[in-house]
Order: sequence, then C-alpha cells, then structure tokens
Amino acid sequence: MPVLTGKELRIVGFLCNWCSYGGADTAGVGRFNQPTDLRIIRVPCSGRIDPLFIAKTLINGADGVLVSGCHPRDCHYAEGNFYARRRLEVLKRFLPILGIDPGRFDYTWVSASEGQRWQKVVTAFTEQIHTLGPAPRFDAVAPELLAKVAGAISQGGNRVAA
Amino acid sequence: MRIGVFVCHCGSNIEGTVDTAAVAKATLEFPEVVYATDTMYACSEPGQDGIIQAIKEKNLTGVVVASCTPRMHEPTFRKAVERAGLNRFMFEMANIREHVSWIGKNREANTNKSLDLVRIAVEKLRRDAPLIPSKFSVNKRVMIIGGGVAGIQAALDCADGGLQVVLVERESTIGGKMAKLDKTFPTVDCSSCILGPKMVDVAQHPNITLHAYSEVDSIGGYVGNFQVKVKKKATYVDWELCTGCGACIEKCPSKKNPDAFNEKIGPCTSINIPFPQAIPKKAYIDATTCRQFVKGKCGVCAKVCPTGAIRYDMTDEIVTEDVGAIVAATGYDLFDIKKIPEYGSGTYPDVITGLQYERLLSASGPTGGHIKRPSDGKEPKNIVFIQCVGSRDKSLDRPYCSGFCCMYTAKQTILTKDHIPDSQSYVFYMDIRSPGKMYDEFTRRAMEEYGARYIRGRVAMVYPKGDKLMVRGADTLAGTQVEIEADLVVLAAGAEAAKGAPQLAEKLRISYDKYGFFMESHPKLKPVETNTAGVYLAGSCQGPKDIPQSVGQGSAAAAKVLALFSKDMLESDPQISRVDIKRCVGCGKCIMTCPFKAIKEVEFRGQKKAEVIETVCQGCGICTSTCPQGAIQLSHFTDNQILAEVNALCQS
Amino acid sequence: MSRLEELKTRIKEALPGLECVIGWQKGYDALHNTPLFMRSAEDVDKLEWGALNVHNPAVYLPTMAGKKVGVVVKGCDSRSVVELLQENLINRDNIVIFAAGCDGVVDLTKVKAKLAAAGTGAGVVTAVSADGKTVSVTAGGKTVAMPMAEVAADKCLRCQYPNAVLADTFVGTPAPQPTPVPSANADLDALDAMSVPDRMAFWRYHMDRCIRCYACRNACPMCVCRDHCIAQSREPHWLSQDDSVTEKLMFQVVHAMHLAGRCTECGECQRACPMDIPVLALKKHLNRTIHDLFDYQAGVDAAAIPPLLQFKTEEVNIKERSW
Ligand SMILES: Cc1cc2nc3c(=O)[nH]c(=O)nc-3n(C[C@H](O)[C@H](O)[C@H](O)COP(=O)(O)OP(=O)(O)OC[C@H]3O[C@@H](n4cnc5c(N)ncnc54)[C@H](O)[C@@H]3O)c2cc1C
Ligand code: SF4
Ligand code: SF4
Ligand code: SF4
Ligand code: SF4
Repeated sequence: MPVLTGKELRIVGFLCNWCSYGGADTAGVGRFNQPTDLRIIRVPCSGRIDPLFIAKTLINGADGVLVSGCHPRDCHYAEGNFYARRRLEVLKRFLPILGIDPGRFDYTWVSASEGQRWQKVVTAFTEQIHTLGPAPRFDAVAPELLAKVAGAISQGGNRVAA
Repeated sequence: MRIGVFVCHCGSNIEGTVDTAAVAKATLEFPEVVYATDTMYACSEPGQDGIIQAIKEKNLTGVVVASCTPRMHEPTFRKAVERAGLNRFMFEMANIREHVSWIGKNREANTNKSLDLVRIAVEKLRRDAPLIPSKFSVNKRVMIIGGGVAGIQAALDCADGGLQVVLVERESTIGGKMAKLDKTFPTVDCSSCILGPKMVDVAQHPNITLHAYSEVDSIGGYVGNFQVKVKKKATYVDWELCTGCGACIEKCPSKKNPDAFNEKIGPCTSINIPFPQAIPKKAYIDATTCRQFVKGKCGVCAKVCPTGAIRYDMTDEIVTEDVGAIVAATGYDLFDIKKIPEYGSGTYPDVITGLQYERLLSASGPTGGHIKRPSDGKEPKNIVFIQCVGSRDKSLDRPYCSGFCCMYTAKQTILTKDHIPDSQSYVFYMDIRSPGKMYDEFTRRAMEEYGARYIRGRVAMVYPKGDKLMVRGADTLAGTQVEIEADLVVLAAGAEAAKGAPQLAEKLRISYDKYGFFMESHPKLKPVETNTAGVYLAGSCQGPKDIPQSVGQGSAAAAKVLALFSKDMLESDPQISRVDIKRCVGCGKCIMTCPFKAIKEVEFRGQKKAEVIETVCQGCGICTSTCPQGAIQLSHFTDNQILAEVNALCQS
Repeated sequence: MSRLEELKTRIKEALPGLECVIGWQKGYDALHNTPLFMRSAEDVDKLEWGALNVHNPAVYLPTMAGKKVGVVVKGCDSRSVVELLQENLINRDNIVIFAAGCDGVVDLTKVKAKLAAAGTGAGVVTAVSADGKTVSVTAGGKTVAMPMAEVAADKCLRCQYPNAVLADTFVGTPAPQPTPVPSANADLDALDAMSVPDRMAFWRYHMDRCIRCYACRNACPMCVCRDHCIAQSREPHWLSQDDSVTEKLMFQVVHAMHLAGRCTECGECQRACPMDIPVLALKKHLNRTIHDLFDYQAGVDAAAIPPLLQFKTEEVNIKERSW
C-alpha cells in the first residue's frame, strides 16, 4: 500500500543527488522529525528533471510533487539548476490551465548542509497538500461537473467554453 | 532478472521504527524479487558476506539494499556485488534510515514508506543495465598558458613532479606583472629578487619547454589527449643564435618607441630585450616601428649582431604540442584610466597608473629608481593616490573589487616615503580591504609610521593649476569637500580580464563571466578546476588575485594535474549519456545545454547526429531532459527508469 | 501584376535550381486548398494564393533536409521556417523562401458553422470568392456571404506578422497589420475565466473525444520526431497505448511542453484535429507564460536561442517561493 489511507497523501519528491538529497540526509542525521508522506526519487541533478515527469506524476494521481536542487550558482554541474529553474517555472504556470492546482507543485533549493531548511520545506509542503486534500483525478471527474462543462462547451460549438 | 532484497536493521537505527522483517517479506510480492531477508548490519563484513552468498546461492542478477543513504555506502555495496560476480551497476539502494527511520517515530507509517522506497528501487533496478568503464591512455605532458607568477609556479611544480611541461607566453619574456613591480607587500621585499630565481629555474629546468612570444592558435582533443597548435610569432631574431648581448639595442637608431614593459612611460628601441633579467634573454624586433620594416632600409642590427642572428624575413610559425592537460594562467590587464576623463589621464602627463608608478620606483625602470614625474622630470613632493579607479563602480560596468589595490597603494605610500623622506602621500579610498595575514597591520603602518593621509571619499575631478594638479574630492568622514595640491596623481587602476581572454576561453571550451574572467568549476570546492575536464586555472585569469593567492593557485593547479596523471590509464565513469542514433535528429539542443561541452556533432550516413564524448561527460543528464526526441539517455537514470519509479509511486 | 502572378513568375525563374517549391493548390472542392509540390512550370500554374491557403507548408521542410527546396509562405508560416532555422532543423542554404503579404486565412470550422446556420448543409462547395472583407461561399446552389472578420482564423485576427519575417523573394505590396480584435483570444479568455476544477472537467470532456490520431502532432511543423515521437516509443516509454483520458491528456502535455518556447502559434495542431479539440489553447497559454517570463517570441529571429535552451543567473521575472 503506497500511502496510509486517511493519514498520508501521495507526495513525490525529485531531489538532486548532490545538494538536496544530501540536505534530506542531513535532516535525518539531525533527527529532524518530518511528516511521512513524501517519497523521494533521486536524480543526479535538478537539470535532469524533465518537467514532464512532474506532469506525469500529477496526472497519474499524485497529490503533490516537490522538486529540490542546489541553490542557484551552487549546482554540482554548474548550470543544471539554471535550466531547471526556467523549465520548472514554466511548468508551474502551466499546471492550472490543465485543471491542476498549482499549489500541488513546488520547487526549491536546499543545500546538503541545510537539514533544518529541508525539514521546514517538507513540513510546509506536506501541510499545504493536506490543506488542498486528495487531488481530483482526470479519470474520475464528477459526472455533474462534467455535464455542466460539457453543456457549456457544446453551446460554444466545441471550441469556446463559456 | 532475479532480484534479492536486503533490509538492514542498522542495529536499532532502522529496526527501532521500521519492521524490517515485514518489509522484506512484503517485497517478495514485487516483480522479479526472488529472495528477501532482513539483516543486522548490511555494511558489516558478515552483512556483505551474506549478500555475496545469497547472490551465489540464489543466482541473483540484481540486488537492492534498503539501509542508509546511498551517498554513504553505495560504493561499499557496489564493490560487494562485484565481488560476487555481478556488474556493480546492477545494484540499487533504498534509503530507509536518513529518509525514514530517523525522521519519524510512527512504526506503521515508516514500515509502509520503507516498502514504497524498496518498490521504486526494485523498479529502477529492473531497468538497470551493466555498465563498463572504458579506459584510455593519458599523455603526461601539460601545457601552461601564461608565464606570470601563477603560470611559473604551476610549471615548476609540475616539472618538479616529473611531468613534461610546455609553457606558452605571449610576451617575449615570462614574469607577467610581477616582473614590473618594484617591491611587494606585505614584506616590502624586492619583486625581481624573489621572482628572478624562479624565472631562471624555468629556463634551466630540463622538463620545461618554453615558447615565448607565442600564442595558442587552436586546441583539439580532450582530457588526456589535447592537440594544441601554438603560434610562434616572428621575432626576426634567430633565438638559437641570439646570446642576449644587447649590441643591437645599443646601436638601433629607432629609439623613441613607447616601452611596453615600462608601461609606456619610457622609450625603448625597436629591437629590444624588455629588461635585464628577461627569460628568455633574447632580442626581438617590433616590426611596427623598426626602420627596416617601416622604411625598408636600415639593417643596423644585422650588421652589429656578433652571431648574425637577425632574420628580417622570418615569419610566424605554427608548432603542434600534444598534451594531456592544460593550465590557463593568463592573468589580468588594467582598466583603461582614460575612461574616466574627470581624472585627467591622457590630458595631464602627471596622472599615471599604479603600475606606471611601480616602474618609476623600480631601479630597473626608466628613471633608474628615482621618482621623477613624467612631465618635467621633477621630484614630486605631494602625491595623491586615488583608489578604486575602475573597481567597485557599477556605472563603469566594473562592480567588482580588484582585491590588491588597497594593499599596493599602501605599499606605494611607504616606498614613496622611503624614496623621498620629505614627501606627503594622500590616499582617497572607499574602504580599506586588507584581510590577509599581516595585511591590515601593513596598511596601518602606512598611515601610522609613514604618515600617509587617508581620506575616505571619492574624487570628483583633477584639474591643472600652474605646474601642479588640483585634486578635488569629498571627505565623507569629515563631511567636507577637500582640495589637495598634487605634484603627481597615481590612479589605482582596477584589474580587468587579460586581453583576448574570452577568445582563449572559447578555444579551451571553458566558460568566462561577463567581464572575461574564467569560470571555475565550483566557487568554493573546485576553485582551480573548470567544467572542461583536463583544463585548470591558476592566478588572476579567474579573478583579481595578489601574488600569494596566485602562487597558491599555481601550486593547486599543478597538484590537480599531477593527480590526473598519477594513473597511466584514465577510467571514465560509465554513468554517462548515450545517443540513440536512430532517434537523434541532429538538432544540437543537447550540445547547446551541456555545461561540459561533452557532446559533439558527427556525420552518420550523411546526416548530422550527436555523440557523447565518454571521457568528458559528467553524467548530469541535462541533455536527457533537453532532447525532445528522448534520443540521448543518461545511463542509470534513463527516462524509463524514472518513469518506472513514478508509476510505482502512483499506482494505487 | 497580382501577388499570385508575380509569385508564379518568380517561382518559375527559380525552379531550375530547386528540387521543388512547396505551396498550395485547389483541393477536392472549392473550399479546400491542399499542399502543392511544384516541380515543373505546369505545376506552378496550379499555385493558389489567398484566404484558403490554410496549411503551413513549413511542416514539409525538415523531411526534405539535404535537398534544395523552395517554400511559399504566409507571415505565420515564415515564423515556422525561422524557428526551424533557429533549431538547426533545416539549413538556410537549402531553403529559398517566397512570400507575399497575407490578408488572412479562413477557419474552416467557422465557415462550416456559417453554412450550417444558413441552412446550407455539408454539401460540396462549388465556388468561393473572397475580397479581403467578405468571403462568399456557394454550396448546394446557394451563396452565403460571410464577413471575413467572422470567419478568419483566430491567429489572423491578432496577426503581428502578415508579411514574412524572413524571405528571399517578397512580391507585391506588404499587407497591413490587422488591428487585433478581442474575440481572437476567446479560447484562452474562456479558459482563464474558468475555475481550476472546471478546467479539469473541460479537458476531461475533450480528451474523452480525442481519438489519439496524432493529426495535431503530424501537422505541427516543429514536431520533427514523427515516427520517433516519445508518445509512441518504448525506449523511452512515456505513454502506454492505453486509450485512457490520462494518457491522452499526457500526450497533449507532451506536445505542449515540448513546444514551450518553440511554438509559433501557427495553429496547425488545432486546425488538423478531426475532432475539433481546442489543443491550441494549451500552447497559447504557454506562449503567454514564455513571453511574460522571458520576453520572448518564437520564430522571429533566426539567430535567437530558444529560452529553455539558455538561462540567466539572475532571472528578473521568476520570483521563487520563500519557505
Ligand atoms: C600596481 C600593482 C602593484 C601590485 N603589487 C603587488 C604586491 O606588492 N604584492 C602582491 O602580492 N601583488 C601585487 N600586485 C598584484 C600582482 O600583479 C598579481 O597578483 C600577479 O601579477 C598575478 O599573477 P598572474 O600570473 O596571475 O598574472 P599576470 O602577472 O598578469 O601574468 C599573466 C601572464 O600571462 C601572459 N598572457 C596573457 N594572455 C596570454 C595568452 N593569451 N597567451 C599566452 N600568454 C598570455 C601575460 O603576458 C603574462 O605574462 C600588484 C598589481 C598592480 C597592478
Ligand atoms: S537534442 Fe536530441 S535530437 Fe537533438 S541532437 Fe541532441 S540527441 Fe539529437
Ligand atoms: S549527461 Fe550532462 S555532461 Fe553528459 S552529455 Fe549530457 S549534459 Fe553533457
Ligand atoms: S504546437 Fe500547434 S500552433 Fe504551435 S507550432 Fe505546433 S502546430 Fe503550430
Ligand atoms: S488531432 Fe485531435 S483527436 Fe487527434 S490526437 Fe490530436 S487532439 Fe486527439
């Protein structure tokens, strides 16, 4: 069972190996208590994170996605987070047009020494996702809502939705 | 695949809040997992033996260890599975300690989360492929570009370490700026006395080949095997024959040329040896002023040269040097003080740069070490120093601090007092930056023992009054305007990137900042490395540095080269990107974004394709998320692996 | 000489040095023009110019890499050519661009709606005439006059570049830039006005209808992967062949995100869709974002680097969250 029903929500993290994954380790070493929802996928660099991974995760039913990399100018690979910042910001602004609450995705920078900051980020983000609640799913849009929107669309001749 | 899962107790570190046995048992439900167990200390010798034994007995082809962070023990376990005969990349870790047991106390949640982390590790492992590092030989020769004090230090350290060194210097002699200095802070010892012996060592070292009056023309190849074409500019003197006797210089009739070594405050002949301690001590002809070239007749030097070394028909020559590593040590140049017309440089001859002042102080300078002002040769009594000229000034696009000006200005006030005891120095400054060992004491001495008057504030303008210069500025501490009558004004012109630095950076395939200083690989942890494997930095080419820092970097760069060359064969990390040639459309987007220039364009059956240079790729995967075709995949972190992890976490 | 005649003359002159020149010709009825590949003078005589040239001929250029070809372009098509050049997907030396001022093309969906409203069914259209202000369409013996402003493609109503941004041969007088009308952005405005959950329902509704034919992708001049599109490959395996709404939506997200900073809003994706799904809205939204963030427009400067292939160490318009 991926999450504890009723207690946890499905939150996926993508962390760069050199800074943020290390920061999460530091938080562990410091025994900085954190909510248990987050599952971390380790990648070498935030520049490795194709924004489509995040879109895919959210469309496939995750309740939140958190990305963290090295602070700008500190990337282990010099430029990865600079590219990442542009891509991630574009994605963040794109999500709401798809019908995904932009609060379900955040990106940030945490260094390997910032265990406390990591604890803060995870706690705040998890809280934020719990406030938003379980994510509505594309494959389970409520029939009434679908009917309402469909009605409006067909009036506009498919193209324009009123 | 036959996967074995080992869930570690880490004593009670994990077991205390995770039911490891339950996790192990549950993983048996995962695809391709054929064996699972919990273990006390996976990393201990019995723990590792247990893994090895299981691999052998259960014919495992892949292993997942759920324990601590992979940043700690991944190498340990990789070696263990390798000992059991598996490829070391057929291994994944689930971090259930730092990311689970240590950050929460709820045993149920932790057990559940641990299982999830093992699940994604298994999914990733199922898509792992064995990776084999490739080996390539290294050419243990190193090229140092730039023969300032940083380059000299790097060359000597490498050569003493047994490496063959090729030193390339643009000017006809090595030494750089330091050779022009009179004395050096904070000890006020004679610059040429400490630099001279090092320069001689360079000339005499059996492992060093010096190409002076030469520049890098082009660079091909990669770490371990670069091919550098060096352009040896025509000196019109056969250096094999020139003994440096100076007979030609004595007789040369073209005597009124601005002397670059003396920062143009003195004249020199068209055929010249910049200074007596020059290395190599060889003459060269400046064809832009030489009468033989300008007027087509003269030939005096050819007549007087006792060894017949003059060659008016000499042309530039290209030599190719094969090296395995390159150190860039091309230093800095000075801000052009004419860009601040208010200070009157260019208009008033007695407004000079700090470096020109060093030449006036120097016994080998145009005035023989007597401070004489350029306009009328009089000894100045009141000398005004203006700091931060072309430094820390956003309006001039020079927002950075040049680092050494505060210190050398203090030094120059001290030297001034030594030369002219009845003189008075004034220093306009913004802040005094002297954070080195004995540095602050030094600036205090300038003020307290040598009576230099420091005025905190900017100078508004310099204007002439009779044969004097009036310096008008603000004293921000006193809150007043001040005007000082000066015989000589010395501007602490800031440091700029060396001329041609960006062009050289392009050839080296390294980055440079907007001011032209070369970019180090990491501002804190990799100060002398660059993002191009096998290329290192030393000295002021990376940013303004004083002599101790430049020398330190020279030695550091040498240590990096020696470490690189300590092996006969370099092994490249196989966790790199690879191009699927069928999918690649040759658009070059990956080439544009790769920070390490690790991808090149190749022709394949008449079509453009990308190709990763194995030895250069660092495995960041920026290219992988850039390519819309999914044509370039980072091994061990492929799209399919990350997608499998995503899918595993999203499945309900 | 009309734009068309002059184009023909100039193409005929250039044709001997070219493999072919891509343009438009009459299609199966008077309303539908189709692409034309001119290889001979007779082919050139079939060339059309005007409001029915809806296709973007730039889509064919990458498939002809290595050959020297000509292409006739409207303003919007020329931006695709420029973007292809920006991305190294075609070689400037191999492309000869013919262009003329464009007065806008029709949106066939709007035309058909007008015909339907006038009671003229789907029958074969026998004649179309357009004078820049009005389009008159004859079908089933009946002629319906439609104001161009009401049937023009949305992109034409807000067109900034009616005259090619890059051309080797530009004929005739340049077309004036139209004054943008608010309705040109109705699709995005409507989506903007919706609540986030409604938008999810909106896409859910449309994705239910998507038949995953990939016509949108195949029509896109920037989708050069074609057979290797990650929507269909196993290495990498981004999407299953499942006919589910999530996979279909993900495909649209792939198309949109892959076009971020590259899409010139030529509108071909939406025009090609047999189900009339407003997929262009996603790209328009992204283009707006790209413009806001990086002050950038795709396909106007062949030397410009697309914004996601570069960065600034300090991004002026990105305000990151502070925790
Ligand atoms: C007025 C003044 C006084 C100073 N006083 C002191 C002092 O008292 N104490 C102190 O610690 N520091 C002092 N400094 C700082 C000192 O000059 C520098 O720290 C030092 O010179 C830096 O050495 P470097 O080798 O990095 O660069 P440089 O000395 O600039 O040497 C670079 C060398 O590379 C060569 N080069 C450049 N480009 C190329 C190329 N493309 N190809 C080949 N060769 C090239 C140049 O010709 C030069 O020989 C002073 C600086 C100034 C301006
Ligand atoms: S980005 Fe992809 S398609 Fe383009 S050159 Fe690189 S690998 Fe090939
Ligand atoms: S993985 Fe990184 S270093 Fe290697 S080729 Fe790709 S972008 Fe360059
Ligand atoms: S995504 Fe649509 S509008 Fe954009 S370039 Fe492709 S076809 Fe044209
Ligand atoms: S053209 Fe329309 S129906 Fe076909 S895949 Fe695209 S959106 Fe779906």
